[in-house]
Amino acid sequence: MVSTSRLQASEGPDWSAEMAAVAQRRDRDSFMRIYDHFMPRICLYLKGMGSTTAIAEELAQEALLRLWQRAGSYDPALSRVSTWLFRIARNLHIDRVRKETGWMLVQDALAGEEADHDERHSSSAEAYVEHAKLKVSIDRLPATQARLVRMSYFEAKSHHEIAEELGLPLGTVKSSLRRAFLKLQADVRGEA
Amino acid sequence: MNPMHHLDPATVVAYAAGALSPAMAVVAATHLAGCDHCRGQVRDAEQIGGLLIEEQQPIEADLARREHLREAMFARLDEVEEGAPVVQVAPTGMPSVSADPDRLPAPLHPYFGSSFDALKWRWMAPGVHCIRSTGVIGGNLFMLKIAPGKSMPLHSHGRSELTQILQGAYNDVLGHFGPGDVADLDSDVLHQPVTAAGIPCICVAALDAPLRFPGWLARKLQPLVGL
Repeated sequence: MVSTSRLQASEGPDWSAEMAAVAQRRDRDSFMRIYDHFMPRICLYLKGMGSTTAIAEELAQEALLRLWQRAGSYDPALSRVSTWLFRIARNLHIDRVRKETGWMLVQDALAGEEADHDERHSSSAEAYVEHAKLKVSIDRLPATQARLVRMSYFEAKSHHEIAEELGLPLGTVKSSLRRAFLKLQADVRGEA
Repeated sequence: MNPMHHLDPATVVAYAAGALSPAMAVVAATHLAGCDHCRGQVRDAEQIGGLLIEEQQPIEADLARREHLREAMFARLDEVEEGAPVVQVAPTGMPSVSADPDRLPAPLHPYFGSSFDALKWRWMAPGVHCIRSTGVIGGNLFMLKIAPGKSMPLHSHGRSELTQILQGAYNDVLGHFGPGDVADLDSDVLHQPVTAAGIPCICVAALDAPLRFPGWLARKLQPLVGL
């Protein structure tokens, strides 16, 4: 078990705190620090998903702009900045690059549902610690599971595509991803 | 609302990663609309995605380009006001899982319309009706209506199948599947679901091609689903 203070010492900037400054007072310095860190990372993600550099840059700029626009509804107890940006970038990719027009409609329909029904009980401090534990846990995934996780998130490969590419049975891919996800959850909740 | 049968965590990961086929994503979203538990799972899976992005080590190649983009971003902050409209589906005042029994779950509206009563069912076999969605690329998305006491016609080998129950129910060796439940089964699971007594079982299903049905049904379906 990793102590909270050790986690904080090894952590980089607290993007939630920067984002809170953006949410509360439209702090541009805070936003541009978020931008400087995440812009190249979102570009890398989108290029890995198949976009040209030009399109990746355009969509990444738009993702960060949307973060700026929506800052007022950011709640650090509910979500990390990186989670928000991942979700926005993923949606832009699916909508604009893959041209699956139904996806955005479905996301909006679900977003309405979340607002009505969901509660997250973490304080922002608890959410911060959870996120740090998740980072440690991801770094410790066995090599095969880590590879499948990366093929899922960074290449959006379906279970079947992964199975074909790696020459594995479909059931093995599914069970491996299942185990990886449940392990990450258990580690974050301190059940490991 | 908390159903009994949930999405496999592997499916949750694929959904969050944008790695499900479009048809599967629609069925998964239909389940999510009525399942607090699975929406929480998706949030956790999205958190993993965010962390993976955050941890990347990009190579800083073109500094001039980077600076140009940075200035462009800063300029756009000036133009965009807080509270600029964000594209949203107009709230209807009704939740996705509606008190109106005729209303389909919201994620299905672009594919099947919003009304159960308005669905134009096509006869497939005694007690079995089907509608195939148009507008979903790269997969097969359809709704099934099966009379009580019938065997469910879906059966797949080595491919993925995802079925969300909307009305009625079926039973099989894995349990009772009622409204809100999703059947997200490993392809090697043998199951012989039979619809429960009472009202017809209506579900929405996605199958990754190719479809595999019992022979007589495959022949009937051929013209309908474009095998």
